Amino acid sequence: MVAPSSRAVADVTSSPAPDLLIEAHGLTKTFGDFTAVDGIDVAVPRGEAFGFLGPNGAGKSSTMRMIACVAPITSGSLRILGMDPVSQGPRIRARLGVVPQQDTLDLELTVRENLYIYGRYFGMSRAALRPKIDDLLDFAQLTERADAKVEPLSGGMKRRLTIARSLINDPDILLLDEPTTGLDPQARHVLWDRLYRLKQQGVTLVLTTHYMDEAEQLCDRLVVMDAGRIVAEGSPQQLIVAHSTREVAELRFAPGENAAAAERIGGLLDDARERAEVLPDRVLLYVADGERALARAHEAGLSPISSLVRRSTLEDVFLRLTGRSLID
Amino acid sequence: MSAVAAPASRSHLWQVVEYQLYVGRRIWRSMFIVGVFTPLAYVLSLGIGLGTVVNNHGNSLGVPYLVYVAPAFLTAAALQIAAADAAYPIMAGFKWIRTFHGMAATPLTPAQICDGQLMWVALRIFANSVVYLAIMAAFGGTERWWVVLCVPIATLTAMAFAAPVAAIAAIMENEGNGFNMLFRFIVTPMFLFSGTFYPVSELPEWGRWLAYISPLWHGTELARGSAIGHIGGLAVLGHLAYLLLWFVVGLVVARWRFGVRLSK
Repeated sequence: MVAPSSRAVADVTSSPAPDLLIEAHGLTKTFGDFTAVDGIDVAVPRGEAFGFLGPNGAGKSSTMRMIACVAPITSGSLRILGMDPVSQGPRIRARLGVVPQQDTLDLELTVRENLYIYGRYFGMSRAALRPKIDDLLDFAQLTERADAKVEPLSGGMKRRLTIARSLINDPDILLLDEPTTGLDPQARHVLWDRLYRLKQQGVTLVLTTHYMDEAEQLCDRLVVMDAGRIVAEGSPQQLIVAHSTREVAELRFAPGENAAAAERIGGLLDDARERAEVLPDRVLLYVADGERALARAHEAGLSPISSLVRRSTLEDVFLRLTGRSLID
Repeated sequence: MSAVAAPASRSHLWQVVEYQLYVGRRIWRSMFIVGVFTPLAYVLSLGIGLGTVVNNHGNSLGVPYLVYVAPAFLTAAALQIAAADAAYPIMAGFKWIRTFHGMAATPLTPAQICDGQLMWVALRIFANSVVYLAIMAAFGGTERWWVVLCVPIATLTAMAFAAPVAAIAAIMENEGNGFNMLFRFIVTPMFLFSGTFYPVSELPEWGRWLAYISPLWHGTELARGSAIGHIGGLAVLGHLAYLLLWFVVGLVVARWRFGVRLSK
């Protein structure tokens, strides 16, 4: 599929595209008394893969629906592709690709018909759609199922079809709301591969996820959201450096003994940046040198049932920033 | 933007209709059965079967019973099919298959989605009514050319009721149980009390008022007027105005509720 990249070039020459495709200041969304999005600032330049990372209920989807020009904002300002969503919603939506959290495919129609009908909503002609659909079927690895009904397809295939559908209009921005939630690991990897290709082609990606590995693989830059607010921002690596230690030692003790063990280990840590975190099933030691911390725990007479040393991830950043884990 | 045409509201309407045509290709059998066998059943059993009894027992209607009753059947069938088409498919678009949410992410506006959906219902009703008229004619149920006006009249009557039903479908959050009530307590009684089988003047006072409120009676009067004659110009205008009022109010509320539902 070559269309998205050639498209980006065409746009630069035809219209003075804004540097920032998405620009939000104090963006707020309330539902009655409940504040879903609480005054966030977001700026996404062309070509970036930008992520909203956070647990369920953090306000990610509400933010995405405002960016998609589907839900109105409550207050603050929002400009998409340099335009105002209130007065120019249809014009903006004509240039967006949207992968919603829940598929909205027509299960009674075939794979090809779903793409065709969706393309028609963008005012595309039959002639323009025919080659486009073939390209997208190929990209989504659905060519063999082109004339099959959607209903019996696997979750991963449906998701790939939804992504193919979102690319029918060569969007300037591709919005993906929890693109791989509910898929098995293999299907997720296939999907990540497809999204990574789009990223390589220069498509601007905006995605929400509560999977830290997804965020790490796909996002150039991300914001961590919690309770409607942005609590941290940066590249995955920057966030890890800023909010976590280099390594993490995970120690698993017998049920009920984790808290007491953590307290004893806490006294062994020398650096102020190093600390112990108790989870229901294990103790995490945030340290510069994981093997050394393990050795010291053993020397102090602690004997965990199992232990491992790993690099810090975004999951640790999130735990540090909010005191909770991403997936409850 | 090379591949994307400038948004034009009228073409958007047809894009939604085109989608429904694709869906329709999958269910053409049931559409065919409803479109052909329902008229056949009514025309044969009531128009001709019951009609023979009526005609043999001092028919005071001035025309054969089939000629009297068939335009009313046509109008009532149009309204019933339109009500069902505006109820369940719209509920499904919001709730079960969620296709409207997919459409809302495109340049289509909620009002266009609403209009396109209703346009599809109107086209289907128009086509059904043409078939119904042909079956009426085949069995001798028509006496003059004016009867062809039954088709647009039935379509208007159907849409006068379908638009408010679409609004209800856009409002309803539950699993659609409310539609059972709608069909049981409004649509079916309306068929029985709107002068379909006999003039409403035969009804007691309260029954007549039921007829006057219902859009179906106004549509039936117009359709029968076109089939038989003897309807005044002022009455025609009154009936048309009443049906248009239902349609416009229903459409305004439906568009509004589509907007509310799709922008949550």
